[in-house]
Amino acid sequence: MATLISLRRRIRASMNVSKTTRAMQMIAASKLKRAQDAALSSRPYVKRLSDLVQDISQKVEDKTIHPYIHQETDSKKTLIVALSPDKGLCGSLITNLIREFLSFTKENPSATYIVCGKKLEAQVAKLPNEVLASFVFGTTLPKFEAVFPIIQLINDLYINKKISSVKVLYTDFSSIFSQVPKVATLLPITLSQPEVTEKSQKKSQLYEPGVNEILPSMLKHYIEMALYQFLLESYLSEQASRMIAMQNATNNAKDIIEALKLEYNKTRQSKITSELLDITGSRRAQQYGEQ
Amino acid sequence: MQLQIITPEKIVFDEEIDELVVPTVRGEIAILPHHVNLLTQIAPGEMTIKQKQKSHHMAVAGGFLQIADDTVSILADFAVRSEEIDAKKALEAQQRAEEKIKNQKEHMSERDFELVQADMRRAILQLKVARKRHRGAPIS
Repeated sequence: MATLISLRRRIRASMNVSKTTRAMQMIAASKLKRAQDAALSSRPYVKRLSDLVQDISQKVEDKTIHPYIHQETDSKKTLIVALSPDKGLCGSLITNLIREFLSFTKENPSATYIVCGKKLEAQVAKLPNEVLASFVFGTTLPKFEAVFPIIQLINDLYINKKISSVKVLYTDFSSIFSQVPKVATLLPITLSQPEVTEKSQKKSQLYEPGVNEILPSMLKHYIEMALYQFLLESYLSEQASRMIAMQNATNNAKDIIEALKLEYNKTRQSKITSELLDITGSRRAQQYGEQ
Repeated sequence: MQLQIITPEKIVFDEEIDELVVPTVRGEIAILPHHVNLLTQIAPGEMTIKQKQKSHHMAVAGGFLQIADDTVSILADFAVRSEEIDAKKALEAQQRAEEKIKNQKEHMSERDFELVQADMRRAILQLKVARKRHRGAPIS
């Protein structure tokens, strides 16, 4: 049986841990709120923008007009932008992310990488593949400016036909309790099949200036927004996952403290009992001697 | 006709309106109900929304405008109603951007320069729209 002092030490240690995890949980919760506002409010914008891009790309007769929607290259290479948190202690999120990452690398052994976030950086470093750039993900809400250097790198390769497609590995936020790592295609933009109905053909549609003038700036904007949305989703997932993980840790610590306290009290009690027995026993022995 | 103004931050406006005057890259256009379907690019500037007897002014920075089935949707990088413009903040933002450009012009990358410039343009635009509402009165 453990001694009283060591039990007391363990109780104190668990209390300290629970304090830390509780603080981390609260920080994650407040960050989560901000991230949720940002990500959820930009969702309708991205959705509409993507509808518009689909719509206008459908109208363009010459699909080769912009490399974003139609890429002709001999290269079969894929560029993958991998987004991960910088910090750990966020439950199974990173494990899941790495699992998805490894299964992707098996399928695409020749891919080039851009990494954003320290946790995947270590994984990518183990691969023989080319790592183009490595960015810091940061521990605060990603800024829109963060996408520009990434986009520039992508453009350098993509417009010069060094790569055939760009994919993003990120963590999709479906709810506070579930975040799933996913690989999405950023470029070329996948165009859905146009629904040719009589109604849509009849409608007249004006473009000012022409489709060809609007398209490039719209596509550029769309790519930036799409990438930013991926960053936001990843950040949001990280915070949600951390909040839940820390909540569990705090609860576990509480359970442990309770169990340890019970043991501590039991030990203390039995110690008192045995001391009492000692005293009464020796007293008895004394009385017996006197008689 | 319905007007929806959506920015990355939020849905700024979603109401029934009677007329919309908006700056585009090809010049200012006015849109009345039952306008033909249109897709165009918006230029930074001031937008006027007429709603029954009232008219609102809004500062808008670049974006796209789509008219489909008598519904106007504007996807703007940034849009703010003139009543909500914080003139003081805008003035500060302008001064900050000006200072940054003055002090660090040599050290800035092209991209950074563009960003600061965009900040400044946005601030100036807000001030312009705000001043109009104040009928030229100086902003404290």
